[in-house]
Amino acid sequence: MQNVYTVAQVNSYIKNMFTQDFMLQSIRVKGEVSNCKYHSSGHIYFTLKDVKGTISCVMFSSSRSGLTFRLSEGQQVVVSGSVDVYERDGKYQLYARQIQLDGAGALYERYEQLKRELEERGMFASEYKQPIPKYIKTLGVVTAATGAAVRDIINIATRRNPYVQIILYPAIVQGEDAVPSIINGIHAMEHFHVDTIIVGRGGGSIEDLWAFNEEAVAQAIFDCPIPIISAVGHETDTTIADYVADLRAPTPSAAAELAVYDIEQLQNKLSEYNYTMQHMCKRVIQRCRKEAEQYGVRMRYLSPLNTIRMKRTQALSLEEHLQNAVEKQLQSKKHQLALYIEQMKGLSPLDKLSQGYSYVSDAFGRTLSTIEQVELGDAVTIYIKDGQLDAQITKKRKESWEN
Amino acid sequence: MKKKEEMKQERDQELSLEEAFVQIEEVIAHLETEEITLEQSFQEYNRGMQLLKHCNETIDQVEKKVLQINEDGGLDEF
Repeated sequence: MQNVYTVAQVNSYIKNMFTQDFMLQSIRVKGEVSNCKYHSSGHIYFTLKDVKGTISCVMFSSSRSGLTFRLSEGQQVVVSGSVDVYERDGKYQLYARQIQLDGAGALYERYEQLKRELEERGMFASEYKQPIPKYIKTLGVVTAATGAAVRDIINIATRRNPYVQIILYPAIVQGEDAVPSIINGIHAMEHFHVDTIIVGRGGGSIEDLWAFNEEAVAQAIFDCPIPIISAVGHETDTTIADYVADLRAPTPSAAAELAVYDIEQLQNKLSEYNYTMQHMCKRVIQRCRKEAEQYGVRMRYLSPLNTIRMKRTQALSLEEHLQNAVEKQLQSKKHQLALYIEQMKGLSPLDKLSQGYSYVSDAFGRTLSTIEQVELGDAVTIYIKDGQLDAQITKKRKESWEN
Repeated sequence: MKKKEEMKQERDQELSLEEAFVQIEEVIAHLETEEITLEQSFQEYNRGMQLLKHCNETIDQVEKKVLQINEDGGLDEF
Protein backbone atom coordinates (compact mmCIF):
# COMPACT_ATOMS: atom_id res chain seq x y z
CA MET A 1 0.00 0.00 0.00
CA GLN A 2 1.55 3.21 -1.16
CA ASN A 3 1.39 6.39 0.92
CA VAL A 4 -0.79 9.23 -0.21
CA TYR A 5 0.67 12.71 0.20
CA THR A 6 -0.92 16.09 0.21
CA VAL A 7 -0.05 18.60 -2.49
CA ALA A 8 1.60 20.77 0.10
CA GLN A 9 3.74 17.90 1.28
CA VAL A 10 4.92 17.17 -2.25
CA ASN A 11 5.65 20.78 -2.98
CA SER A 12 7.48 21.12 0.31
CA TYR A 13 9.51 18.01 -0.47
CA ILE A 14 10.44 19.31 -3.88
CA LYS A 15 11.33 22.74 -2.44
CA ASN A 16 13.59 21.02 0.00
CA MET A 17 15.36 19.20 -2.83
CA PHE A 18 15.91 22.50 -4.62
CA THR A 19 17.17 24.16 -1.47
CA GLN A 20 19.70 21.44 -0.83
CA ASP A 21 21.03 21.66 -4.37
CA PHE A 22 24.16 23.72 -4.16
CA MET A 23 24.21 24.68 -7.83
CA LEU A 24 20.63 25.94 -7.91
CA GLN A 25 21.29 28.25 -4.97
CA SER A 26 23.80 30.26 -6.92
CA ILE A 27 23.37 30.10 -10.65
CA ARG A 28 23.82 32.28 -13.67
CA VAL A 29 21.31 31.88 -16.46
CA LYS A 30 21.37 33.58 -19.83
CA GLY A 31 18.43 34.18 -22.08
CA GLU A 32 16.11 36.70 -23.66
CA VAL A 33 13.72 38.79 -21.60
CA SER A 34 10.03 38.48 -22.31
CA ASN A 35 6.75 39.25 -20.55
CA CYS A 36 8.53 41.82 -18.46
CA LYS A 37 6.34 43.50 -15.84
CA TYR A 38 7.34 46.12 -13.31
CA HIS A 39 4.92 45.60 -10.43
CA SER A 40 3.78 48.52 -8.30
CA SER A 41 5.28 46.77 -5.29
CA GLY A 42 8.70 47.25 -6.86
CA HIS A 43 9.15 43.63 -7.84
CA ILE A 44 9.89 42.79 -11.45
CA TYR A 45 8.41 39.73 -13.07
CA PHE A 46 9.65 38.41 -16.38
CA THR A 47 10.31 35.27 -18.33
CA LEU A 48 13.69 34.22 -19.57
CA LYS A 49 13.61 32.23 -22.74
CA ASP A 50 15.76 30.73 -25.39
CA VAL A 51 14.89 28.62 -28.41
CA LYS A 52 14.36 25.50 -26.37
CA GLY A 53 12.50 26.72 -23.29
CA THR A 54 11.40 29.33 -20.81
CA ILE A 55 11.80 29.97 -17.09
CA SER A 56 9.84 32.37 -14.89
CA CYS A 57 11.89 34.97 -13.14
CA VAL A 58 11.30 37.46 -10.39
CA MET A 59 13.46 40.23 -9.02
CA PHE A 60 12.28 41.49 -5.65
CA SER A 61 12.46 45.17 -4.90
CA SER A 62 15.01 44.38 -2.21
CA SER A 63 17.39 43.18 -4.93
CA ARG A 64 16.81 46.08 -7.26
CA SER A 65 20.30 47.48 -6.76
CA GLY A 66 21.44 44.53 -8.84
CA LEU A 67 19.83 46.05 -11.91
CA THR A 68 21.45 49.08 -13.48
CA PHE A 69 19.28 49.49 -16.55
CA ARG A 70 15.63 49.32 -17.49
CA LEU A 71 14.73 45.76 -18.22
CA SER A 72 12.75 45.38 -21.43
CA GLU A 73 11.54 42.87 -23.93
CA GLY A 74 14.04 41.19 -26.17
CA GLN A 75 17.15 42.04 -24.14
CA GLN A 76 19.79 39.34 -23.91
CA VAL A 77 20.67 39.15 -20.24
CA VAL A 78 22.54 37.07 -17.73
CA VAL A 79 20.57 36.61 -14.52
CA SER A 80 22.39 35.68 -11.36
CA GLY A 81 20.34 34.25 -8.51
CA SER A 82 18.80 31.06 -7.25
CA VAL A 83 16.23 28.68 -8.59
CA ASP A 84 13.58 27.95 -6.01
CA VAL A 85 10.10 26.58 -5.71
CA TYR A 86 7.04 28.67 -5.12
CA GLU A 87 5.11 26.13 -3.10
CA ARG A 88 1.70 27.70 -3.42
CA ASP A 89 1.67 27.38 -7.21
CA GLY A 90 3.92 24.37 -7.41
CA LYS A 91 6.13 26.38 -9.70
CA TYR A 92 9.82 26.82 -9.72
CA GLN A 93 11.30 30.13 -10.73
CA LEU A 94 14.52 32.01 -10.94
CA TYR A 95 14.95 34.56 -8.15
CA ALA A 96 17.18 37.21 -9.63
CA ARG A 97 19.74 39.00 -7.48
CA GLN A 98 21.58 40.63 -10.32
CA ILE A 99 20.77 41.12 -13.98
CA GLN A 100 23.43 42.09 -16.49
CA LEU A 101 23.19 42.65 -20.19
CA ASP A 102 24.66 39.63 -21.87
CA GLY A 103 27.93 39.54 -23.66
CA ALA A 104 31.09 40.87 -22.09
CA GLY A 105 31.14 43.64 -24.66
CA ALA A 106 27.47 44.59 -24.61
CA LEU A 107 27.80 47.43 -22.10
CA TYR A 108 31.14 48.42 -23.47
CA GLU A 109 29.65 48.58 -26.92
CA ARG A 110 26.86 50.84 -25.72
CA TYR A 111 29.41 52.98 -23.97
CA GLU A 112 31.56 53.28 -27.08
CA GLN A 113 28.58 54.06 -29.26
CA LEU A 114 27.25 56.78 -26.97
CA LYS A 115 30.72 58.22 -26.58
CA ARG A 116 31.10 58.44 -30.35
CA GLU A 117 27.66 59.98 -30.72
CA LEU A 118 28.17 62.64 -28.08
CA GLU A 119 31.62 63.39 -29.34
CA GLU A 120 30.23 63.95 -32.81
CA ARG A 121 27.65 66.29 -31.30
CA GLY A 122 30.53 68.25 -29.83
CA MET A 123 29.55 67.70 -26.23
CA PHE A 124 33.14 66.93 -25.23
CA ALA A 125 34.55 69.93 -27.07
CA SER A 126 36.90 72.08 -25.07
CA GLU A 127 35.16 75.30 -26.11
CA TYR A 128 32.16 74.25 -24.02
CA LYS A 129 34.24 73.61 -20.93
CA GLN A 130 33.60 76.22 -18.29
CA PRO A 131 36.56 77.28 -16.18
CA ILE A 132 36.40 76.08 -12.58
CA PRO A 133 36.32 79.19 -10.38
CA LYS A 134 39.36 79.38 -8.17
CA TYR A 135 37.76 80.92 -5.10
CA ILE A 136 34.31 79.57 -4.35
CA LYS A 137 31.92 80.12 -1.47
CA THR A 138 29.48 77.30 -2.03
CA LEU A 139 30.15 73.81 -3.30
CA GLY A 140 27.42 71.49 -4.52
CA VAL A 141 28.01 67.78 -4.12
CA VAL A 142 25.85 65.26 -5.93
CA THR A 143 26.71 61.81 -4.67
CA ALA A 144 25.52 59.13 -2.28
CA ALA A 145 25.01 60.42 1.26
CA THR A 146 26.89 57.43 2.61
CA GLY A 147 30.15 55.91 1.53
CA ALA A 148 33.73 56.94 1.12
CA ALA A 149 33.16 59.41 -1.70
CA VAL A 150 31.08 61.89 0.27
CA ARG A 151 33.30 61.52 3.34
CA ASP A 152 36.45 62.15 1.32
CA ILE A 153 34.96 65.20 -0.36
CA ILE A 154 33.73 66.73 2.91
CA ASN A 155 36.98 65.95 4.75
CA ILE A 156 39.24 67.44 2.15
CA ALA A 157 37.02 70.42 1.38
CA THR A 158 36.65 71.41 5.04
CA ARG A 159 40.32 70.83 5.75
CA ARG A 160 41.31 73.14 2.94
CA ASN A 161 38.71 75.75 3.70
CA PRO A 162 36.11 75.39 6.47
CA TYR A 163 34.43 78.58 5.30
CA VAL A 164 33.10 77.09 2.08
CA GLN A 165 29.44 76.10 2.30
CA ILE A 166 28.90 72.54 1.12
CA ILE A 167 25.44 71.55 -0.07
CA LEU A 168 24.93 67.84 -0.55
CA TYR A 169 22.33 66.29 -2.74
CA PRO A 170 22.01 62.72 -1.48
CA ALA A 171 21.80 61.02 -4.83
CA ILE A 172 21.22 57.42 -5.75
CA VAL A 173 24.32 56.58 -7.71
CA GLN A 174 23.64 53.08 -8.93
CA GLY A 175 20.70 51.05 -10.02
CA GLU A 176 17.81 52.04 -12.12
CA ASP A 177 16.85 55.19 -10.18
CA ALA A 178 20.32 56.60 -10.36
CA VAL A 179 19.85 58.49 -13.62
CA PRO A 180 16.86 60.63 -12.57
CA SER A 181 18.37 61.07 -9.12
CA ILE A 182 21.66 62.40 -10.43
CA ILE A 183 19.85 64.69 -12.87
CA ASN A 184 17.64 65.99 -10.07
CA GLY A 185 20.72 66.62 -8.01
CA ILE A 186 22.29 68.72 -10.74
CA HIS A 187 19.06 70.71 -11.17
CA ALA A 188 18.82 71.24 -7.40
CA MET A 189 22.35 72.68 -7.41
CA GLU A 190 21.38 75.04 -10.22
CA HIS A 191 18.48 76.13 -8.05
CA PHE A 192 20.76 76.84 -5.08
CA HIS A 193 23.23 78.75 -7.29
CA VAL A 194 26.29 77.00 -5.95
CA ASP A 195 29.64 78.07 -7.42
CA THR A 196 30.90 74.63 -8.44
CA ILE A 197 29.36 71.17 -8.48
CA ILE A 198 31.06 67.85 -7.87
CA VAL A 199 29.16 64.94 -9.37
CA GLY A 200 30.41 61.46 -8.68
CA ARG A 201 30.65 58.31 -6.69
CA GLY A 202 33.23 55.86 -5.43
CA GLY A 203 34.62 52.97 -7.39
CA GLY A 204 32.67 49.97 -8.62
CA SER A 205 32.08 47.68 -11.54
CA ILE A 206 31.11 49.01 -14.93
CA GLU A 207 27.50 48.17 -14.04
CA ASP A 208 27.77 50.12 -10.78
CA LEU A 209 29.08 53.15 -12.62
CA TRP A 210 26.64 52.79 -15.45
CA ALA A 211 24.40 55.73 -14.59
CA PHE A 212 27.33 57.99 -15.39
CA ASN A 213 27.41 56.53 -18.89
CA GLU A 214 23.79 57.41 -19.62
CA GLU A 215 22.96 60.03 -22.19
CA ALA A 216 20.46 61.84 -19.95
CA VAL A 217 23.08 62.37 -17.24
CA ALA A 218 25.59 63.53 -19.83
CA GLN A 219 23.03 65.98 -21.20
CA ALA A 220 22.24 67.36 -17.74
CA ILE A 221 25.95 67.89 -17.06
CA PHE A 222 26.40 69.51 -20.45
CA ASP A 223 23.41 71.82 -19.99
CA CYS A 224 24.31 72.86 -16.47
CA PRO A 225 25.35 76.54 -16.36
CA ILE A 226 27.46 75.89 -13.26
CA PRO A 227 30.92 74.37 -13.70
CA ILE A 228 30.88 70.65 -12.92
CA ILE A 229 33.77 68.49 -11.77
CA SER A 230 33.17 64.81 -12.34
CA ALA A 231 34.64 62.27 -9.97
CA VAL A 232 33.47 58.82 -10.85
CA GLY A 233 35.16 55.75 -9.44
CA HIS A 234 38.89 55.36 -9.55
CA GLU A 235 41.45 56.93 -11.77
CA THR A 236 41.17 54.13 -14.32
CA ASP A 237 37.40 54.44 -14.76
CA THR A 238 36.46 56.99 -17.34
CA THR A 239 32.76 57.49 -17.87
CA ILE A 240 30.80 59.54 -20.38
CA ALA A 241 30.10 61.96 -17.53
CA ASP A 242 33.86 62.49 -17.18
CA TYR A 243 34.15 63.44 -20.84
CA VAL A 244 31.29 65.89 -20.77
CA ALA A 245 32.08 67.48 -17.40
CA ASP A 246 34.00 70.76 -17.32
CA LEU A 247 36.79 69.05 -15.43
CA ARG A 248 37.48 65.43 -14.66
CA ALA A 249 38.92 64.53 -11.31
CA PRO A 250 40.50 61.09 -10.94
CA THR A 251 38.88 60.53 -7.53
CA PRO A 252 36.34 62.26 -5.27
CA SER A 253 39.21 63.45 -3.04
CA ALA A 254 40.95 65.01 -5.99
CA ALA A 255 37.68 66.67 -6.99
CA ALA A 256 37.46 68.35 -3.59
CA GLU A 257 41.02 69.59 -3.97
CA LEU A 258 40.29 70.97 -7.41
CA ALA A 259 37.08 72.66 -6.27
CA VAL A 260 38.08 74.17 -2.94
CA TYR A 261 40.99 76.56 -2.54
CA ASP A 262 43.34 76.34 0.40
CA ILE A 263 42.42 79.22 2.72
CA GLU A 264 45.82 79.17 4.41
CA GLN A 265 47.61 79.68 1.14
CA LEU A 266 45.28 82.50 0.27
CA GLN A 267 45.85 84.21 3.60
CA ASN A 268 49.59 83.85 3.17
CA LYS A 269 49.30 85.38 -0.23
CA LEU A 270 47.32 88.31 1.14
CA SER A 271 49.81 89.04 3.90
CA GLU A 272 52.61 88.73 1.39
CA TYR A 273 50.89 91.33 -0.75
CA ASN A 274 50.48 93.50 2.31
CA TYR A 275 54.14 93.20 3.19
CA THR A 276 55.30 93.86 -0.35
CA MET A 277 53.17 96.96 -0.67
CA GLN A 278 54.37 98.39 2.62
CA HIS A 279 57.92 97.59 1.69
CA MET A 280 57.54 99.22 -1.71
CA CYS A 281 55.92 102.28 -0.22
CA LYS A 282 58.67 102.63 2.37
CA ARG A 283 61.20 102.41 -0.40
CA VAL A 284 59.54 105.24 -2.28
CA ILE A 285 59.45 107.34 0.88
CA GLN A 286 63.10 106.62 1.58
CA ARG A 287 64.03 107.49 -1.95
CA CYS A 288 62.10 110.75 -1.77
CA ARG A 289 63.66 111.58 1.60
CA LYS A 290 67.12 111.00 0.23
CA GLU A 291 66.36 113.12 -2.78
CA ALA A 292 65.07 115.89 -0.53
CA GLU A 293 68.25 115.70 1.51
CA GLN A 294 70.37 115.98 -1.58
CA TYR A 295 68.40 118.98 -2.70
CA GLY A 296 68.83 120.45 0.75
CA VAL A 297 72.58 120.09 0.47
CA ARG A 298 72.55 121.67 -2.93
CA MET A 299 70.32 124.49 -1.76
CA ARG A 300 72.55 125.22 1.17
CA TYR A 301 75.47 125.26 -1.17
CA LEU A 302 73.72 127.67 -3.49
CA SER A 303 72.35 129.88 -0.71
CA PRO A 304 73.50 133.62 -0.70
CA LEU A 305 74.62 133.09 2.88
CA ASN A 306 77.07 130.57 1.59
CA THR A 307 78.27 133.01 -1.06
CA ILE A 308 78.74 135.69 1.55
CA ARG A 309 80.64 133.33 3.77
CA MET A 310 82.83 132.32 0.90
CA LYS A 311 83.51 135.90 -0.16
CA ARG A 312 84.32 136.80 3.39
CA THR A 313 86.79 133.98 3.65
CA GLN A 314 88.25 135.03 0.37
CA ALA A 315 88.55 138.63 1.58
CA LEU A 316 90.23 137.49 4.78
CA SER A 317 92.73 135.45 2.91
CA LEU A 318 93.44 138.32 0.54
CA GLU A 319 93.95 140.64 3.45
CA GLU A 320 96.40 138.24 4.97
CA HIS A 321 98.24 137.98 1.71
CA LEU A 322 98.40 141.69 1.44
CA GLN A 323 99.72 142.11 4.95
CA ASN A 324 102.30 139.47 4.38
CA ALA A 325 103.40 141.12 1.20
CA VAL A 326 103.62 144.54 2.79
CA GLU A 327 105.46 143.16 5.78
CA LYS A 328 107.91 141.47 3.52
CA GLN A 329 108.46 144.61 1.52
CA LEU A 330 108.98 146.59 4.69
CA GLN A 331 111.45 144.09 5.99
CA SER A 332 113.42 144.06 2.83
CA LYS A 333 113.49 147.89 2.66
CA LYS A 334 114.60 148.08 6.26
CA HIS A 335 117.33 145.67 5.51
CA GLN A 336 118.43 147.57 2.48
CA LEU A 337 118.39 150.77 4.48
CA ALA A 338 120.65 149.21 7.07
CA LEU A 339 122.99 148.21 4.32
CA TYR A 340 122.98 151.74 2.92
CA ILE A 341 123.65 153.14 6.33
CA GLU A 342 126.65 150.90 6.69
CA GLN A 343 127.78 151.83 3.22
CA MET A 344 127.19 155.49 3.87
CA LYS A 345 129.15 155.28 7.04
CA GLY A 346 132.13 154.02 5.11
CA LEU A 347 131.90 156.87 2.64
CA SER A 348 131.27 159.71 5.09
CA PRO A 349 133.64 162.64 4.44
CA LEU A 350 133.58 163.58 8.12
CA ASP A 351 135.67 160.56 8.95
CA LYS A 352 138.22 161.65 6.42
CA LEU A 353 138.24 165.20 7.79
CA SER A 354 139.03 163.95 11.24
CA GLN A 355 142.15 162.36 9.87
CA GLY A 356 143.50 165.73 8.67
CA TYR A 357 141.96 165.83 5.26
CA SER A 358 139.86 168.73 4.01
CA TYR A 359 137.73 169.46 1.06
CA VAL A 360 137.23 172.58 -0.95
CA SER A 361 134.12 173.98 -2.52
CA ASP A 362 133.61 176.98 -4.76
CA ALA A 363 131.38 179.92 -3.98
CA PHE A 364 128.40 177.91 -5.15
CA GLY A 365 129.07 174.99 -2.75
CA ARG A 366 130.38 172.67 -5.50
CA THR A 367 133.21 170.44 -4.43
CA LEU A 368 136.39 171.13 -6.30
CA SER A 369 138.01 168.12 -7.82
CA THR A 370 140.10 169.76 -10.54
CA ILE A 371 141.92 173.04 -10.94
CA GLU A 372 139.92 173.75 -14.04
CA GLN A 373 136.83 174.53 -11.87
CA VAL A 374 138.24 177.79 -10.52
CA GLU A 375 139.95 180.88 -11.81
CA LEU A 376 142.52 182.95 -10.02
CA GLY A 377 140.92 185.29 -7.50
CA ASP A 378 137.81 183.04 -7.02
CA ALA A 379 136.62 182.71 -3.47
CA VAL A 380 136.55 179.15 -2.10
CA THR A 381 135.62 177.55 1.19
CA ILE A 382 137.86 174.94 2.89
CA TYR A 383 136.10 172.49 5.17
CA ILE A 384 138.23 170.95 7.94
CA LYS A 385 137.52 168.93 11.05
CA ASP A 386 136.39 171.71 13.31
CA GLY A 387 135.08 174.39 10.86
CA GLN A 388 135.59 176.17 7.55
CA LEU A 389 137.99 178.61 6.15
CA ASP A 390 137.20 181.16 3.45
CA ALA A 391 140.12 181.62 1.05
CA GLN A 392 141.03 183.08 -2.33
CA ILE A 393 142.80 181.35 -5.22
CA THR A 394 146.12 183.01 -5.65
CA LYS A 395 147.92 180.54 -7.85
CA LYS A 396 147.07 177.46 -9.99
CA ARG A 397 149.65 174.69 -10.59
CA LYS A 398 148.96 171.61 -12.54
CA GLU A 399 150.41 168.44 -11.00
CA SER A 400 150.10 164.82 -11.60
CA TRP A 401 150.18 162.86 -8.28
CA GLU A 402 150.36 159.54 -9.82
CA ASN A 403 153.67 158.04 -10.73
CA MET B 1 34.46 113.44 -5.93
CA LYS B 2 32.57 111.56 -3.27
CA LYS B 3 30.43 109.99 -5.90
CA LYS B 4 33.48 108.74 -7.70
CA GLU B 5 34.72 107.21 -4.46
CA GLU B 6 31.43 105.45 -3.99
CA MET B 7 31.49 104.15 -7.52
CA LYS B 8 34.94 102.84 -6.95
CA GLN B 9 33.81 101.04 -3.84
CA GLU B 10 30.88 99.60 -5.68
CA ARG B 11 33.26 98.34 -8.28
CA ASP B 12 35.38 96.79 -5.54
CA GLN B 13 32.34 94.98 -4.25
CA GLU B 14 31.87 93.24 -7.56
CA LEU B 15 35.51 92.38 -7.87
CA SER B 16 36.31 88.70 -7.63
CA LEU B 17 39.37 87.58 -5.72
CA GLU B 18 41.16 86.79 -8.96
CA GLU B 19 40.47 90.25 -10.32
CA ALA B 20 41.52 91.84 -7.05
CA PHE B 21 44.80 89.89 -7.17
CA VAL B 22 45.49 91.07 -10.69
CA GLN B 23 44.94 94.65 -9.54
CA ILE B 24 47.15 94.22 -6.47
CA GLU B 25 49.90 92.89 -8.69
CA GLU B 26 49.51 96.00 -10.83
CA VAL B 27 49.68 98.24 -7.79
CA ILE B 28 52.87 96.52 -6.64
CA ALA B 29 54.39 96.72 -10.10
CA HIS B 30 53.61 100.43 -10.17
CA LEU B 31 55.09 100.92 -6.71
CA GLU B 32 58.20 99.17 -7.90
CA THR B 33 58.82 101.60 -10.74
CA GLU B 34 61.47 104.24 -10.22
CA GLU B 35 59.47 107.12 -11.68
CA ILE B 36 56.60 106.95 -9.20
CA THR B 37 55.98 110.15 -7.27
CA LEU B 38 55.38 110.19 -3.55
CA GLU B 39 51.76 111.25 -4.07
CA GLN B 40 51.21 108.46 -6.55
CA SER B 41 52.82 105.96 -4.25
CA PHE B 42 50.47 106.96 -1.45
CA GLN B 43 47.53 106.66 -3.79
CA GLU B 44 48.66 103.27 -4.98
CA TYR B 45 49.31 102.09 -1.46
CA ASN B 46 45.88 103.20 -0.40
CA ARG B 47 44.32 101.46 -3.34
CA GLY B 48 46.28 98.29 -2.59
CA MET B 49 45.20 98.32 1.05
CA GLN B 50 41.59 98.80 -0.01
CA LEU B 51 41.89 95.85 -2.36
CA LEU B 52 43.38 93.72 0.39
CA LYS B 53 40.58 94.73 2.71
CA HIS B 54 38.12 93.81 0.02
CA CYS B 55 39.81 90.43 -0.41
CA ASN B 56 39.60 89.76 3.31
CA GLU B 57 35.96 90.75 3.34
CA THR B 58 35.27 88.52 0.35
CA ILE B 59 36.69 85.56 2.22
CA ASP B 60 33.75 85.18 4.52
CA GLN B 61 35.40 83.41 7.42
CA VAL B 62 32.45 81.75 9.04
CA GLU B 63 32.70 78.03 9.46
CA LYS B 64 29.99 76.29 7.53
CA LYS B 65 28.11 73.10 8.31
CA VAL B 66 27.49 70.71 5.45
CA LEU B 67 23.90 71.04 4.33
CA GLN B 68 21.87 68.33 2.74
CA ILE B 69 18.95 68.90 0.42
CA ASN B 70 15.83 67.18 1.76
CA GLU B 71 12.85 65.81 -0.13
CA ASP B 72 10.98 69.13 -0.02
CA GLY B 73 13.93 70.85 -1.65
CA GLY B 74 14.80 72.47 1.66
CA LEU B 75 18.08 72.20 3.49
CA ASP B 76 18.91 70.19 6.60
CA GLU B 77 22.18 69.82 8.42
CA PHE B 78 24.04 66.80 7.18
